[in-house]
Amino acid sequence: MTPADRLLLVALVALAVLAVPITRLAAGSSAGTAIVRGPDGRSVIDLSENATYRVQGRDGEVVLRAVAGAVRVDSSTCADKLCVRSGALRAGRPIVCAPNGVTVVFGRVRGGELDAVSR
Amino acid sequence: MRSRADISAQELALAAALLAFASCLGLAEATMLPPFPVPGVRIGLANVAVVIALVTLGGRWCITISLMRVVVVGLATGTLLGPVGMLSAAGGAAAAGVMLLLARSRAFSVLGVSLGGSVAHVSAQLVVAVLLSGSTAPLLLLPLSLALSLPSGLVIGYSARLLLSRLPSRSLSAV
Repeated sequence: MTPADRLLLVALVALAVLAVPITRLAAGSSAGTAIVRGPDGRSVIDLSENATYRVQGRDGEVVLRAVAGAVRVDSSTCADKLCVRSGALRAGRPIVCAPNGVTVVFGRVRGGELDAVSR
Repeated sequence: MRSRADISAQELALAAALLAFASCLGLAEATMLPPFPVPGVRIGLANVAVVIALVTLGGRWCITISLMRVVVVGLATGTLLGPVGMLSAAGGAAAAGVMLLLARSRAFSVLGVSLGGSVAHVSAQLVVAVLLSGSTAPLLLLPLSLALSLPSGLVIGYSARLLLSRLPSRSLSAV
């Protein structure tokens, strides 16, 4: 390793460490609801209810399952299924289905309706 | 003395071999290895061939092989024209571009170049994920993505250095 290599490695590790508190602050915490954003708009799902939600993505359908205050992707039409493998939504760890253009984060939307999510 | 045509043929042969190598590694990773559960993060085995191309053939071939590899793997997996193809192309182009810049500075070894390429790959894919989703939520994955891309970049860099040490010295050229 050259000195420049070591400097780059240290800088990138520092960037990763510094990004943790910043993204945690931006992510918020579980407020009993989650915001689902898809190509058709933004919606709120109530995590206190056990339910299944279907979101229309770019490539097909993303099925979300809310159970015991947690939400995860049950199935998705995307090729890599990273969203299914990523598990339940956590603070600072949003659910992202990039191919379908669907994201899920903790939060509230004033006057939010289930306009893009069908149950 | 070798003619210009001979040198071009040698370059072309090495570039074709590296493209085949990159495509095989990319396909093996796409079909056999379980991906990290974070968009954009992967081991990036194909980058071994791209780093070797950068050192042996220079920046033009490095970018060409990186993008052609995306096309070959995308065609083979049926993801070329979809969002996954966009993510791959963005990651490949960003990684090749950053690696070229780092290599041209002459301050970094293959390890540093690979490290920069790995981080650029992940960062570009997160940006494309933001564009595809219309949400900044994918950026929340930045710390985890960076943390996973650093060991990947080092592993790829060490692998490329090992393979480069086995190549005949006459096939190595300045970047």
